[in-house]
Amino acid sequence: MKMKKLLALGLAGVMALSLAACGVPGEEDETQAAGTEAAGSEAAGGETTGGETADGEKVFRYSVKTEPTTLDSAKMNSIGDSELQQIMGEGLLTNNAGEISPGLAETWEISEDGLTYTFHLRDAQWPDGQPVTANDFVYAARRLADPETASPGAWIVSGVLKNGAEVIAGTVPVEELGISAPDEKTVVFELDHPQGYFLSYVGLSGAFFPQRQDIVEQYGQEYAGSAEKLMTCGAFTLTSSADRAYIFEKNPTYWDAENIKLDRIEVYVVENGDTALSMYENGELDYVQIPNASVPNYTDASNHGSYVNGNLDWVYINNEAEYVSNQNFRLALAYAINRENYNILVNNGVYQAWGNIVLPMCDGPEAGTTYGDTVQPEGYPIQGDEAKAKEYLNAALTELGISDPSEITIHFNAWDDETTKRVAEVCQEMWQNVLGINVQIDMVTYGQVYTTIYPNKDYQVGYGGWGPDYADPYTYLYLFHSENVNNYSNYKNADYDALIDASNAETDPAARMDLLAQAEAMLIEQGVNIPLQMRDVHYLLDEDVTGVQFYYVGYNMCPVYADCAPTA
Amino acid sequence: MAKYILKRALAAIVTLFVLITVVFFLVRLIPGDPFNDPKLTDTVRENLYEYYGFDKPLVVQYGMYMNNLLHGDLGPSTRYMNRTVNDMIFESFPYSADLGIRALVFAVSFGLVLGILAALNRGKKLDVVCVLVAIVGTSIPDFIMGAILQYFFGVKWGLLPVAQYKGIEYTILPAAALGFYTLASVSKLMRSSMLEVVSQDYIKTAKAKGLSQGRITFRHQIRNAIMPVITVLGPTVASVLTGTFVVESIFAIPGMGKYYVDSVNNNDYSMILGMTIFYGAFLILCNLIVDVAYGLVDPRVRIGKK
Repeated sequence: MKMKKLLALGLAGVMALSLAACGVPGEEDETQAAGTEAAGSEAAGGETTGGETADGEKVFRYSVKTEPTTLDSAKMNSIGDSELQQIMGEGLLTNNAGEISPGLAETWEISEDGLTYTFHLRDAQWPDGQPVTANDFVYAARRLADPETASPGAWIVSGVLKNGAEVIAGTVPVEELGISAPDEKTVVFELDHPQGYFLSYVGLSGAFFPQRQDIVEQYGQEYAGSAEKLMTCGAFTLTSSADRAYIFEKNPTYWDAENIKLDRIEVYVVENGDTALSMYENGELDYVQIPNASVPNYTDASNHGSYVNGNLDWVYINNEAEYVSNQNFRLALAYAINRENYNILVNNGVYQAWGNIVLPMCDGPEAGTTYGDTVQPEGYPIQGDEAKAKEYLNAALTELGISDPSEITIHFNAWDDETTKRVAEVCQEMWQNVLGINVQIDMVTYGQVYTTIYPNKDYQVGYGGWGPDYADPYTYLYLFHSENVNNYSNYKNADYDALIDASNAETDPAARMDLLAQAEAMLIEQGVNIPLQMRDVHYLLDEDVTGVQFYYVGYNMCPVYADCAPTA
Repeated sequence: MAKYILKRALAAIVTLFVLITVVFFLVRLIPGDPFNDPKLTDTVRENLYEYYGFDKPLVVQYGMYMNNLLHGDLGPSTRYMNRTVNDMIFESFPYSADLGIRALVFAVSFGLVLGILAALNRGKKLDVVCVLVAIVGTSIPDFIMGAILQYFFGVKWGLLPVAQYKGIEYTILPAAALGFYTLASVSKLMRSSMLEVVSQDYIKTAKAKGLSQGRITFRHQIRNAIMPVITVLGPTVASVLTGTFVVESIFAIPGMGKYYVDSVNNNDYSMILGMTIFYGAFLILCNLIVDVAYGLVDPRVRIGKK
């Protein structure tokens, strides 16, 4: 008995120990940060923030699934990176879910030939009081394109700005990139060719945000490695990037600060979608994306909403590979897919089945119209068309000199990811059932797909997709131009190239849009790839929150102009 | 003893060197490369290779890497471009270690107590309860355990935060989820080890000497029975403290586990190497400590090695 008492005592002691009041790492960091902040404000002349407490602050908290790869606007290359830039940075123009309005530029002019864009800056300043100058824009753009910087996002100026591709390749010095600052307040862009969508590009992409040369050079390779090694001039200032959380405080020096309602934005990296959902349910978040499997439980909830995130998923076809170089065979594959069933089987019915190559929300011929509502050609039938698929197959078999479809085996390139595996299996089943051909799934690692397999055209068909860089059909259609290095479809058609080139030369927006629509129609008629779906993102948003913007280019969700009830 | 430790330490350094060399060349055999974005163009990719020195012959890269390593520099990450591997380990390891220590203290203390109680009450109700806990603990994977704890303590009863790691109350659920498996296996091991020891001659001798049951249990039985537990603790400590992908992911804890797994998926060469070196060094250190602890607990090991 005595021994059991001893054990019980030991047990209690150990319990106390494991719950002991030793702080977790983050807590120490916070007190440290608070200490340096206090020291900093003293140094700045005893400025106080005026009895600011947690009470009454407007704080918006949400989670992201993927950890952003960089805080450096000149090195970003994903929507996740870009979303942070939109909160803390600003470009010449701002983009309010597609509506372009003045940002750091107050006015701008476009030359008649559509090749020169001149922006006039407003009086704005960096958080340390220095004015935002035209040189900050020129410096940032040159740094982006400079081969020494090795920015993964450098392709963005290629074929857009004059000498863009040449500067990236190192054959032309960065000083000759098509951007210049004739004076402190004027930024001039010279384009590679007329681009009607250039304003949308400048407004959407953080790649064109200004950077401070002195700050970048102070930290060198580690510039923007953390919140402390960075300076931006947007609506919010990043005050902490530690512990996979990004804390933004309202920037009082921002030129339009009076229209910014939130005091703070907190972004947490929560990889596990179910965890994020539980955090939302527990009141730890104000906005969350719903994992696809849980979407049906929430579709009727009043705080539920959804938006299209811009990614189109499709089956790439190597247009010069065995069997699939035959147009009728490609069309047989495209018509044999029942996209509605596919969407249910692969995505729990959460995405939208889609039979076109261009996102319908892209801008149309006139302001306020969309491509989808005006000139977009008809795509493949959403439910497929078995009869037509078989017709195409028979035509293909005759042309190929094959009597029995089971003699054909095609290889589907897929990689080690649950969704991709399902995509491949569903396509495999539909093609085998409808067409009677054999489909073999070739599993590879994702690291190979866009580094060797697709660029080297070392595949027959395979999963893939494309996200838009600007709100114009061209962002998808240029992908099939024979000179585009991202033309993974290996599609080379002089007529198609001519249509795309003609659209570049065309200055009348309506005529240009017609040319692009003809180009898309050609891709569909020739079965160049097999579109599958548009991605819908379903989310939950607290009902007291207003003004959150959702868009499909540059960012998916932007809380800059949001408002919410103050914390009690 | 000093000579014994020195010998073990030297062996540890050689092991580490071999590990670094092998991993350095092995990661390059992973198909693909770190720059796998669909939108990259050839020129952009070439610039990136040059920036990271991947355009040089592999042997030259190895020389450069080893040189930097001697200066304590694990290089820049290829995925998180503006951050160094040193910084990322430095930032994330404290979380993994903190969580790991909590989980271990919880697991080892409860595990030992449960195992001992079960053995002392063999065949009685308490034994059945302990064995049941052990079976449940070893058969429920930590991601299920984590989700169950989250659901009940976080969402349903609202007692504790669901995720993140911002204070004491945040540590309880992940530490329990992470420690439960170790707890169960320690208790199982301790129970069987206690039962094995109880039939040994020296216990009979102690009984014959007329020692009290408490003295026999604490002085002779537990001390001898604990040896196998110490053996398994070395590697367990290393793996638990350096981050566990699953639990960290479920509870959104900014630890090392995520970086380790992601680095492999992303072909982030310097990150894979940095993590492996760190983990390897840590594992070797833990094993070294176990060897030394062995010597302290069991005089036979000490004498034998002399």
